[in-house]
Amino acid sequence: MKGKKLISILCAAGMTASLLTVGSSTVLAADTYDTQAIENAGDITLTMMVSGTETQNDFETTVLPELVKKKWPNVTLEVTKLPDDNYYTALKTRLASGECPDIILVQPMYAGSNSCYGLAEAGYLADLSDMECLSLYPDVSGMTYEDTVYALPNGISILGTYYNKDMFEECGITEEPKTWDEFLDACAKIKEKGYTPIVMGDKDQYVMQFGLYQLACNVIYSENPDYDEQLRTGDTEFTDEGTWDRVLEMYNQLYEEGYIDAAQSLGTGASQAIQQFIDGKAAMTFDGSFNVTALKAEGEGGNFERGYFPLPGDRDDGKVYTATCLSAGNAIYSGSKYIDECKELLDYWHNGESDIWDAFIATGKYNMPYGNGVETSENYELFKPFVDLMDQGCAFHWCNQAWPAGTEGTMEELFSEMIGGQGTEVSDITEGMQDKFEDLLDD
Amino acid sequence: MTKKRKGNLSLVFPNKMYAFLIPAMAFFIIFWVFPIIQLFYYSVTNFNGINYDFDFVGMKNFVKIFENGTLGNSIKNTLVYAVVMVISSNLIGLTIAMLLNMRIRAKGVFRTCAYFPALFSAIVVGFIWSYVYMPSSGMIAGILNALGMDGSAFNPLGNFKVALFAIAFVEVWKGFGTTMIIYLAGLQTVDESLLEAGRIDGCTEWQLIRKVKLPLISSTITINVILNVISGLKAFDYAFIMTNGGPGKSTKTLMFQIYEIAFTDQKMGRASAFSVVSFFVIILITMFMLYFLNKREVEL
Repeated sequence: MKGKKLISILCAAGMTASLLTVGSSTVLAADTYDTQAIENAGDITLTMMVSGTETQNDFETTVLPELVKKKWPNVTLEVTKLPDDNYYTALKTRLASGECPDIILVQPMYAGSNSCYGLAEAGYLADLSDMECLSLYPDVSGMTYEDTVYALPNGISILGTYYNKDMFEECGITEEPKTWDEFLDACAKIKEKGYTPIVMGDKDQYVMQFGLYQLACNVIYSENPDYDEQLRTGDTEFTDEGTWDRVLEMYNQLYEEGYIDAAQSLGTGASQAIQQFIDGKAAMTFDGSFNVTALKAEGEGGNFERGYFPLPGDRDDGKVYTATCLSAGNAIYSGSKYIDECKELLDYWHNGESDIWDAFIATGKYNMPYGNGVETSENYELFKPFVDLMDQGCAFHWCNQAWPAGTEGTMEELFSEMIGGQGTEVSDITEGMQDKFEDLLDD
Repeated sequence: MTKKRKGNLSLVFPNKMYAFLIPAMAFFIIFWVFPIIQLFYYSVTNFNGINYDFDFVGMKNFVKIFENGTLGNSIKNTLVYAVVMVISSNLIGLTIAMLLNMRIRAKGVFRTCAYFPALFSAIVVGFIWSYVYMPSSGMIAGILNALGMDGSAFNPLGNFKVALFAIAFVEVWKGFGTTMIIYLAGLQTVDESLLEAGRIDGCTEWQLIRKVKLPLISSTITINVILNVISGLKAFDYAFIMTNGGPGKSTKTLMFQIYEIAFTDQKMGRASAFSVVSFFVIILITMFMLYFLNKREVEL
């Protein structure tokens, strides 16, 4: 009997001690997650799936798993990187089978098949509102659905106009165009010199978005920032006068004047257009910050100096607005067994000072608005004017982020028909966009 | 006793052997029959591929695809693609097979060369050919420039009227080797004595081909035509890799359109309806071709 009593006392003491031990290493607060989840987890394997093309010493597939292992020897991070289309298919399949990786890449708002809003609405994403690094971001609205944050953006993405500074100087263009007329003048001067003003790879029709969205920021969103939200409520329409009709007319003007040669561009792919730009065969191309490495590579044109400016609109006040917004980012699958562990990992990664952060910034692919090394990163100077405009409130989301996926496809298809001389008019395009938009929202 | 015998009448294939069919049948039902049934089921829903909280919408998906004209455009493009493929692939394949069936030197090397494009994946071929077709600085434009012609005017993938033929040609280039091999096998079954008899009777080479060889390989022609029709109706790879359906919608085939509706527009329900319609269109065309060609075989 004495023995039993002793055992029960020892058990009680042991349980109390174990509770105290756990309590000492666990930080639990009412409004935050378990920030020591990884330390208490034992040996675990976290999985991550992202889209993109794997490069040598790739950050996501090589560097990140190594740094995670170094920081937490008990964690193995397995990363799968797939080309965009394969990624979308794999993501859907794995979500449907309930075997989705713990961390996935999502697009802001409604963009793409992996849109943050779409996945959040379907209940596939975990609530990240309690993450510490969120306070470092100036704005995560594009990843916030019904007042809940569902993803951490990997910085900001820019659409702009890359140009050959040497060619500009040779053509007597001393300053970056600040108005639509100045831009057209610059194109005319380049054409007069016998160069191609703008090269575009319109065979990959999505590149049409690069110029059109820049103009939409200047023409539409600067006047009505809620234009896209109102499209959903029916208060605005693509067919409204002075909105998309004006944007399409302005962009079409570049083709009509021969500044972009439709006969060539419709048979040229996106990567072929980039090659022509770096080979010095054209003065400008509309492209995104995501393609900066390819656009800064040395081609037959030598290592000429590149510049990057936002395409101006025809505003009376001379202000320029830019299509600069949140990039795609990481979200956590709501069915993951390791939600807190993933949050701890992502918080460490995005805290602005960890070794993972340093390696992330060192890739030069991500434009983060805070943290160590941002000002010394490779493309900081090139992108600074856009970031400044964003700070001044002169930046807007990319149009397709606010539209149901597929609307932009109709816009590209019909615009392609217009520049290809198929008899399509601006009004056909805006009507087509409106019909498609309504059709996509119908279900 | 009699009953027992009735159950095991065949000594060659006793009843218990049916048990061995179960794995294959299970595989077939799970991976073929069940998905097809699901396709019909999804075609009457508004499933978007992500959210399983979907509703039944009746025939709405079918009405939409007929209403917005996408079905008509993609069927037209697919049929043109299939016709170009069937005619070109069979003509080239048969001609080269006849040439390489003759007694010529190094015919093994020539046969290998002709079959060589079939060894590459469609993605590699499509990517390379998009550079071959590239305006101004592509391979063909370069040759035209070297010959003193205007290479910049050569832009097949950017031309609304030519793009579909340009991508169909790439599929023919890649696939004619396979067609040729099948014809070659067929031609080698033609009895030499029949050809000799024809020559003794004074037949010309063309008459030998027309009156002896072609009738004797009519079943091979049927196989090749059907294979090419099916391949043409399934056209997707080159429209996806080389033109992405463009310019405009000039190279959007049935399969490409289904892919776009399912994965870009995220309307899996409507894509399923499109697939159901395509399913019947392809079955009808294949049945018609089989009937027509079998009848022709008998006549020959």
